Amino acid sequence: MSRAFRVITGLGYVSERGGFAGWCVAPRRRAIVALFACLLIPRLQAQTSRPVESTAATTTTTTTTSAPADREPDRYLAVINGRVHTVTGPVLEGATVLSKNGRIVAMGGGVQLPAECEVVDARGMYVYPGLVAVRTTGIHDTKNPDDASDVYGLSMNLALAGGITSGLAGKHAVKMTFGSVDDIVLRRDVFTTLSYSSRKPLERAQVRADFERVRNYLRDLRRHELEKLRNKEAKPPDKKWLKGKYEKYRKLMQHETVATASANTMHPLLDLSELSRQFGFELVIRGAYEGWLVADELARANVRVILNTRRVVDPNERLNRPTGATIENARILHEHGVRIAIIPASTSITLWGGAGRDLLHLNMEAAFAVRGGLSDEDALKAITIDAARILGIDDRVGSLEIGKDADIIIADGDVLHYMTLVHYSIVNGRVAYEKAKDTLFAHIRPEGKPAVPDFDDIWPRRLEWPDESKK
Amino acid sequence: MKGSGFRVQGSSSASRPAGAGIRFAMAVSLFVTLNPMLALPAAAQTAPDPPDSAEPTGPRPLAFRVAKVVSMDDRDSVVNNATVLVKGGRIEAVGPSESVEVPDGYRVVEMPEAWLVPGLVDAHNHTAGGDFNDMVYLTNPGLNTRAGIEPGNARIKRAASGGVTAVLFIPGSGTNISGFGSIVKTAGANPDEVFMRSPGSLKIAQAGNPEWYFGGVRRMFMNWNTRQTLLKARAYHRAWEAFEKGETAEKPEYDPIFDDFRGLFRGEYPLSVHTQWYQVLLTTVEQYHLGMKLWTVLDHCTFNAWKVGPIVAKTDCWTINGPRQYEFDRTARRMIGNASGWWKNGVRRLGINTDAVGFGGIPQHELSFQAAMACWYGWLPYPALRGVTQIPAEALGVHDRIGSIEAGKDADFGIWTGDPLDPRSACLITVIDGKVVHDGTKGIRRF
Repeated sequence: MSRAFRVITGLGYVSERGGFAGWCVAPRRRAIVALFACLLIPRLQAQTSRPVESTAATTTTTTTTSAPADREPDRYLAVINGRVHTVTGPVLEGATVLSKNGRIVAMGGGVQLPAECEVVDARGMYVYPGLVAVRTTGIHDTKNPDDASDVYGLSMNLALAGGITSGLAGKHAVKMTFGSVDDIVLRRDVFTTLSYSSRKPLERAQVRADFERVRNYLRDLRRHELEKLRNKEAKPPDKKWLKGKYEKYRKLMQHETVATASANTMHPLLDLSELSRQFGFELVIRGAYEGWLVADELARANVRVILNTRRVVDPNERLNRPTGATIENARILHEHGVRIAIIPASTSITLWGGAGRDLLHLNMEAAFAVRGGLSDEDALKAITIDAARILGIDDRVGSLEIGKDADIIIADGDVLHYMTLVHYSIVNGRVAYEKAKDTLFAHIRPEGKPAVPDFDDIWPRRLEWPDESKK
Repeated sequence: MKGSGFRVQGSSSASRPAGAGIRFAMAVSLFVTLNPMLALPAAAQTAPDPPDSAEPTGPRPLAFRVAKVVSMDDRDSVVNNATVLVKGGRIEAVGPSESVEVPDGYRVVEMPEAWLVPGLVDAHNHTAGGDFNDMVYLTNPGLNTRAGIEPGNARIKRAASGGVTAVLFIPGSGTNISGFGSIVKTAGANPDEVFMRSPGSLKIAQAGNPEWYFGGVRRMFMNWNTRQTLLKARAYHRAWEAFEKGETAEKPEYDPIFDDFRGLFRGEYPLSVHTQWYQVLLTTVEQYHLGMKLWTVLDHCTFNAWKVGPIVAKTDCWTINGPRQYEFDRTARRMIGNASGWWKNGVRRLGINTDAVGFGGIPQHELSFQAAMACWYGWLPYPALRGVTQIPAEALGVHDRIGSIEAGKDADFGIWTGDPLDPRSACLITVIDGKVVHDGTKGIRRF
């Protein structure tokens, strides 16, 4: 049995790497050791020498000396002995990931743990960054995610059991901070929705005209800035009208926000990429089941795509061109350089029993992209770092890097395998889900063995072909 | 050979008194229109081949060289570096490549890294044709899905791309008895090519959906009413049986509504019972299997039905679970895998279905993924693959033809890039009756 099941018990844990004893202390006992923690300065030996970013949005600051006695002590959590898939870097065998106050501060071999440090032993397990869902429904409150979300909700619990630690709820990028109301929101107003339908040509013409007006304004503004160097009396261009939709387009053209639009077939996809290229704004397209037919154009316009790999749309026999959906969509888009994120058909956690098509099985949706020819690594990126990049939260989540948030999942096998279950989900350096201690999945493969048995155990190899003549 | 399983029961209906209602008249008129097609194969087989054809009979024989054959036979044979010979629509030989010689004239398909897996079989399908729910009476014993079959429709075409080669096309669960289903292959241009056996089974729906019939009926009445229909059918069958054995000289009146039931009571085909929840499962087992001694296939078997596993395990019932693959137990707050629950309770005649319908739900081509999800929730890969191949074939009584890779069986199989349950593996080639019906190695693969 893996030791992963008896750490974080509050009884303490002694590191096997000789010479240093790290004590595992349950959160409720933290108060007792607070004084010690404040006084200790950890000696960290990280493989990567990148400095710790101080842009932490956590409630505690990163200074460690002479803290007031009533302040929370620094919170350390280490995941040790795992096979660490950093996603943006190499796979580190048996490495340690150490986090402090919710940020990763050290990673690699030979990391020394501070005296007061929660330790999760991931021996024999796979460590990944928490998965990023580019759309979630029914987990957070979409209007006020930080004030009105249920952080003990069943959906959030299940999302964590599925390995998801952050995602988009309504317009905001949020985290699954189960049991904690700290640091829920990653980023507000991630997208600006664009309506540009091929079926409404007049509306489309209006959108272009409005963009044109804003572009002319921005041109005038630049001209005015040059003119002001010569003539201080020069009048700036009129901007009383610059509100509502115009302000929205200005923000897009000045890269203050990113546009999102829903489009599936070739024609709207081409229209949207052309619009984005012409007016120079960033665009994320949802759907795009015919993206494989216009992958070149999408790549040229730097359009990102959020797709469902298993869309079923038959070819339209009445059109004299290739049509319909294909399992190879993700691969073809990726090969053309289009950034993709993968999302299941249902973006909520359903409980009706239909397994494998809702948010709980996000990793299986990525696995289907591999069926279409995408590599395992790129499929994993499409539900981690690339999803985070599309949401603009890749500075915080989506990969395991020093300085990023300690949003980590520990699974008993390859995360794209159909028998892999998540044993720990860690959000902001806190264990937000633990399989063995939660009733949801504890009874499934409870022994904690890697979920995927040796190949021969599943598919017996018969080395000798039975000799029929001896019967 | 192909049409041999098809009971041409309506063909002599002209000589029999037509005492049935309008539904039967419609069924007969539809069926008669199919009859010319049924007569075709004899002519087609004797028709001269085009002169440029290399083989005088049928398509060219094939030889597949693969990394692994998961045969699903009774010995659980798995052959590495194997060769499978296909001739005349049948599997001619299976074995390690060093011991199977490829005769001259065979087209050799080299796929040295692929797995060859029996064609997947779904015992619960609604997409091989158009008719779904003819909710006329609460029990509609005269109906049969063979009247609604649509060979090569868009939904069933996709099944082959997921390695699914045969399905039981049954009517919906809007009424307690919605008619007989038909076992069909997922490729073929006309009814004769696709039919394996019709009637394939009698569809009975207990609880759940039929409760919505018109104003609403509840379980007590439904069980009584279904039983009444079956008792009438059994009386009809016994009257004919007595006449045929010479026990009575009085010839019973032919009744097309009940004539298909004779095969049911003779044990030629099973009941497919839409049944869920443990109380309902108990009624199914008691009323139909133990009470009326009928060959019973329990379909769905979801929610907490797995709790009656120890009882079902003692019977000869078949359990075909799906489309729901887990039950969320709100009291215990557990995600419970249905298949895993049945398996842990000792049920070994356990298969998986998709319940594929034309709208939403699980599409037919994702049958292997249904089995994978059963594993996610605690089942095991080998029995799960068996549960979508050999088990449903046995449950429907067509295991002499399909369900495993053995010499003499129909050449129905899929060639996969790896473990067929893994959604990362693709079914590259599907062969049905010795013909390649899906080739994902060329052009864009849709699934």
